[in-house]
Amino acid sequence: MKPIEADGYYFPPGFMPRETGFIFKTYGQGEGAIHLKLPEVTPELVDALAGHLKKSRSKYLALMPIKRIIRVLDEASRRWLDKAYPLRKLALRTLPVITGFSPQAIEASIQVEMESSLEHDMWQALRSEIGNPLFLDDFQSSAELQGYSRAFGPELIVSFFSENIPALPHLLFMRAALVKAACLGKVASGEPFFAALYLKTIQEIDPEMAESMAVLYWQGGDEAVEDQIFRHADAVVIFGSVETCTSLEKRIPRRIKVLMHGHKIGFGVIGKNSLTRTNIGRLAAAVARDHAMFDQQACLAPQVYYVENGGEVSPGEFAKILALEMAVQEEKMPRGKLPAGDAALLHQLRARYEIRELKGEGVALHTSQGNTAWTVVCEPDPGQFSPSPLNRFVRIWGVEDIFDILPALKPVGPFLQNAAVAVGDARGAEFVRRLSELGLARITSPGNMSMPSMMWHHDGIQTLASLLRWCDVEKKDGIEGEL
Amino acid sequence: VDDLIQAVAQLDKDILSFIQKGVGLEDNQAFNDLALHAFELQFNHIPLYGRYCERRGITPRNISSWEEIPALPTEAFKVAAFFLLPGREVGTFKTSGTSNLKEQGTVHYDEGGLRLMDATIKAAAGAMLFPDHIRARILVLAPPPEKAPHMVMVYGMNRLMEYFGLPQSRFLVQETGFDVQALIDALKKAETEGVIVAICGGSFGFVNFFDYCKAKGHRFHLPPGSRCLDAGGFKGKSREVGRDEFLDACEAVLGIPKDCCINLLGMTELSSQYYDNTLLNRVQGSAVGRAKAILPWTRVQVVDPDSLKPLPAGDTGLLRHFDLANRGHILAIQTDDLGRLVPGGFEVYGRARDDGARGCSLSIDEMTRIMEAGT
Repeated sequence: MKPIEADGYYFPPGFMPRETGFIFKTYGQGEGAIHLKLPEVTPELVDALAGHLKKSRSKYLALMPIKRIIRVLDEASRRWLDKAYPLRKLALRTLPVITGFSPQAIEASIQVEMESSLEHDMWQALRSEIGNPLFLDDFQSSAELQGYSRAFGPELIVSFFSENIPALPHLLFMRAALVKAACLGKVASGEPFFAALYLKTIQEIDPEMAESMAVLYWQGGDEAVEDQIFRHADAVVIFGSVETCTSLEKRIPRRIKVLMHGHKIGFGVIGKNSLTRTNIGRLAAAVARDHAMFDQQACLAPQVYYVENGGEVSPGEFAKILALEMAVQEEKMPRGKLPAGDAALLHQLRARYEIRELKGEGVALHTSQGNTAWTVVCEPDPGQFSPSPLNRFVRIWGVEDIFDILPALKPVGPFLQNAAVAVGDARGAEFVRRLSELGLARITSPGNMSMPSMMWHHDGIQTLASLLRWCDVEKKDGIEGEL
Repeated sequence: VDDLIQAVAQLDKDILSFIQKGVGLEDNQAFNDLALHAFELQFNHIPLYGRYCERRGITPRNISSWEEIPALPTEAFKVAAFFLLPGREVGTFKTSGTSNLKEQGTVHYDEGGLRLMDATIKAAAGAMLFPDHIRARILVLAPPPEKAPHMVMVYGMNRLMEYFGLPQSRFLVQETGFDVQALIDALKKAETEGVIVAICGGSFGFVNFFDYCKAKGHRFHLPPGSRCLDAGGFKGKSREVGRDEFLDACEAVLGIPKDCCINLLGMTELSSQYYDNTLLNRVQGSAVGRAKAILPWTRVQVVDPDSLKPLPAGDTGLLRHFDLANRGHILAIQTDDLGRLVPGGFEVYGRARDDGARGCSLSIDEMTRIMEAGT
């Protein structure tokens, strides 16, 4: 293997910046190293770039029928699903080094993301949020209004990505294109590469459309650069910690539409009647998948699974079986490499559980040997939610009754995202209703936590409709002709 | 129990005489014997630790080197007591709440254990802080022991005063907080009187003092031989201060040369402390670079953060300490401090921390910050 040199940014083909300096950021070491070329970002550069994106949008993207936009995006997803696609192969070689995730994890994430980003998914997402997608193309008659309505996306969406989950930023570029908005993505230093590759695919398919899209990295908080961008943007989408979201939000001018995706919490619940001997193997495999995907780094991932006492299989026994499945996952899709601090934390917490286990506190610990690859702990529900150290640290909390968990989740309601639920009896509907009231944005079944459809109201938000401005024409006297 | 008491008394005598042989001693065999002996007592009489070791297949009968003694992670002290002589506690120290888990680790000392700690303080500070065999007026940026009976640093500073302090040595943190004016007055007085001072305390207290002096334009020219000892570093503090910046400030504000400013690594879970070697080097005319000296009654390993296997000298990893003076609790301690072995000892870079969230899942640190901010 030779070290790879690649662009950690994307400029549209027709954008010719003046005198841009570049720096190289190196990921990994020795022969496997990846050197990413990154432009030195200045207010002048983003000024010119944002201007270019908006101009290109008004000349092309804004005029594209939604049908053609969807065709391009669908073709892009299909190319990425092709195992022989050169950019996919490049991503699989580079992203493990850049992000620390294992190659198998990167492959699985590309597969999951792209499989749910096909033509059919986009039409469904649009229909689900705005009814008739053709509102995006022109005025459509609206019987309720007795007139016509049309929806306009923003001119320029600027999106801040602060996490290293690969294949997430592409989703935002898709959403921007679906509302015919130009899009500038500010990527994270931990994963600046996938979005740039994805836009190269768009360029291959429709270079004119790619003229409205760009990817850049700069150190977040660079006020001169960010203020310049805010002058151009009419929508900002932020993915980041609560602190990142709040500090950015304070500096965004009021006229700009802001969507925030803060860090969130996922969890699972398994009722006693799902814990049958016949079901248990499949269930444990599903729960292991939920934990293995993205090494629990995604906000969709479970931080804890509540397991009810009184079933054929006890929480403790379930934890044991789950440990075997975590070992299987480690074979199939190894956990990524960890920063020292994360590994240290896992060892410290393991010791904590081990000592409690030795003290006879009704705690059980199962771990991979010789490394921190996976950990399964089982204990009675402490009655208060606390975050998990993540990185495949599985917590099984035994509960007497699944409804008992609700009070402990209420205080963290604003941070709740996703729950996997397998109740296994008639209490399911009522339980799901109660959960939904807490603040969750998605409820699914074990094994599917990391795989939302494109229709999902990401973070409880209508991700497409929230970006739109509507214009209604009340067909009264004085407006001639059919719209 | 009597057998245990007797065994402990004999071991204490041996460890004490080992410590008192001074910091120049090189006797691996004696260290190994004492370490294995202490381990045997701890294995047999601290049942939780004994079981912890058995799970790892380690017993006193099947190891022959201190390096094989199972190291107990510091987190363990938050959920259980590890004490060789229950019922004989005369001192209890608690970890500060820098950990995100908001609980305090607790370490108990019996009389003999405290005497061992005292001996290490005397021997280590004598060699590393006062290698020139002087006494100084010791000014401590910490509360007095009666106000902070569970802070191991305060206990240590009090011993320093007792062993090396001139009259008018004092603690400068009161109920109302750090008495900056009292320190300024004391420093001015020392300047006028020509008395050598040793300013000792938490690293961040120094930073606050430097900030204050810079803002007010205070500068001191302390008598030659004056020195600083800062402990704790900047973990968990709002402001990160680089070591060079810190030393520059010592020189600029206090007029103390950089090699007379030494950093101390102490932990509640350790009875011994580690000092920078620069003062000793200055006195001995040694050219070895700044490092924390590993004193004869201690050993330091650097282990891989994932596998916990020892790393070669020079590689960065997690620090693992072996301390004979930990006779009363656990000899081998696994920390989550990052560091590496270097010529002359080791370096410590503070608690291993992530650079920030890698994903979009709410992390322990973020949750802690949210809760603290009350948002």
